[in-house]
Amino acid sequence: METTISARGRAVRLAATLIAGVLLLAGTLWGSDDHFPFGPFLMYAGVNPPNEPAPDPRIEGTTLDGVVIQLGEKQTGLRRAEVEGQQESFVKEPSRLQEVVDAYNRRNPQGPTLSEIRYVMREHEIKTSRPTGKWHDEILATWKVPR
Amino acid sequence: MSWLFAPVPRGRIAVFRAVVYVFAAADLVIFTPWVRSHGSVDTELYRPLWVARVLHLPAPSSLLVTSIFWALLVFALLAATGKAPRFLGWMVFLLYFEWMIIAMSYGKVDHDRFAFLVALAVLPTCGVARWRDRELDARAGWALRVVQLAVVATYFLASWAKLRFGGPEWMTGSVLARAILRRGTDLADLIAPVPGLLIAAQIGIMAFELLSPLIFVLAWRWQRWAVAYFYSFHLVTISMITISFAPHLVAMLSFLPLEKAADWVARRLPSREPSVAGSGLPVLLGEVAGHRIEAGEGAAEGAGAGGH
Repeated sequence: METTISARGRAVRLAATLIAGVLLLAGTLWGSDDHFPFGPFLMYAGVNPPNEPAPDPRIEGTTLDGVVIQLGEKQTGLRRAEVEGQQESFVKEPSRLQEVVDAYNRRNPQGPTLSEIRYVMREHEIKTSRPTGKWHDEILATWKVPR
Repeated sequence: MSWLFAPVPRGRIAVFRAVVYVFAAADLVIFTPWVRSHGSVDTELYRPLWVARVLHLPAPSSLLVTSIFWALLVFALLAATGKAPRFLGWMVFLLYFEWMIIAMSYGKVDHDRFAFLVALAVLPTCGVARWRDRELDARAGWALRVVQLAVVATYFLASWAKLRFGGPEWMTGSVLARAILRRGTDLADLIAPVPGLLIAAQIGIMAFELLSPLIFVLAWRWQRWAVAYFYSFHLVTISMITISFAPHLVAMLSFLPLEKAADWVARRLPSREPSVAGSGLPVLLGEVAGHRIEAGEGAAEGAGAGGH
């Protein structure tokens, strides 16, 4: 005994398979992440020459007491890659870092108050596709939190 | 064409369905719990995906995110029982898809769940399936086949994306060194300085992804080794750069004779009705398994959506 599919059922399934396949192929050839779930599978697909330093950005804040704290996913609800995706707009318009302060405040209403927030880029050195263990930090954007 | 619809035992889809829906629930609370936090993030940071713009989906508010979270959790766990597979299946697909749109609309898109989304989209089309039902079913065959195709497409098209965006020099670049510096484990930090190793690994990844479609021409004896290799590839990835690809790993179960797992479980659980052969499996995820279907009984069709 075997359950078969009607001719119509087969045609619908075949069409669905083909449409999804064509969309995925088009996404890979011409699309971008914006076309999720049919966008190209971009995991680690970037161009990174053998001696290009690896950027390792972070957002940190200074509290009213002068203590420096990390503002990672746990503190703000924003993933590092999401923060990185908006790097340009933070640099162009540092006041946008206030959004991260707001996200921090919402998640940590009892936490220490921030007086300043910074977008810091750590660059790890890479030579012949291997890490050398050296790095340096650069502050790309600073925003004084209005009181 | 018959390859696309090659029938498989219905028990296979029953087990696959249970694992997929349990994972959908687990994904909410264990694997990607950060999605929930998007409800408390300023809508200024919301960068709606194309599909969200076309469908005019609302910007995620705290209320919307919380509502979808709980609805999806409840529907996924109900769907895992195997009852009302069409209604519950479509509900889970729609809610999970919206959940993913919320997840990926903040400047970062993940690429580990295309095959899982395909699984959620095709499972509702399979109808009722019981764990130990060995009757061959072309609907189950098509569903599992397209999930397999999605799994392999994820690999093959990933190599294509690497060639499109990185070019062939991707293989001799520093993409792995960069990944290890940013999120490497102690193990990865230990092996990263070995000369030439990361370049060899990059060439290996490209070769593996380009050759992945060959799995479909292998005999089952070799195919299962290919699947084992796929899983081991991800094991190495997890141990080096803590990228789990968990939803993809669940979708990859579509290659395995999962109905044997149901038998394995049945053999190890105490029989409730030892006198009736094949009916000894206690309630698993709410599904009364072990109901032996005789030829011509038509139980699977006759049970209808959600009934026994």
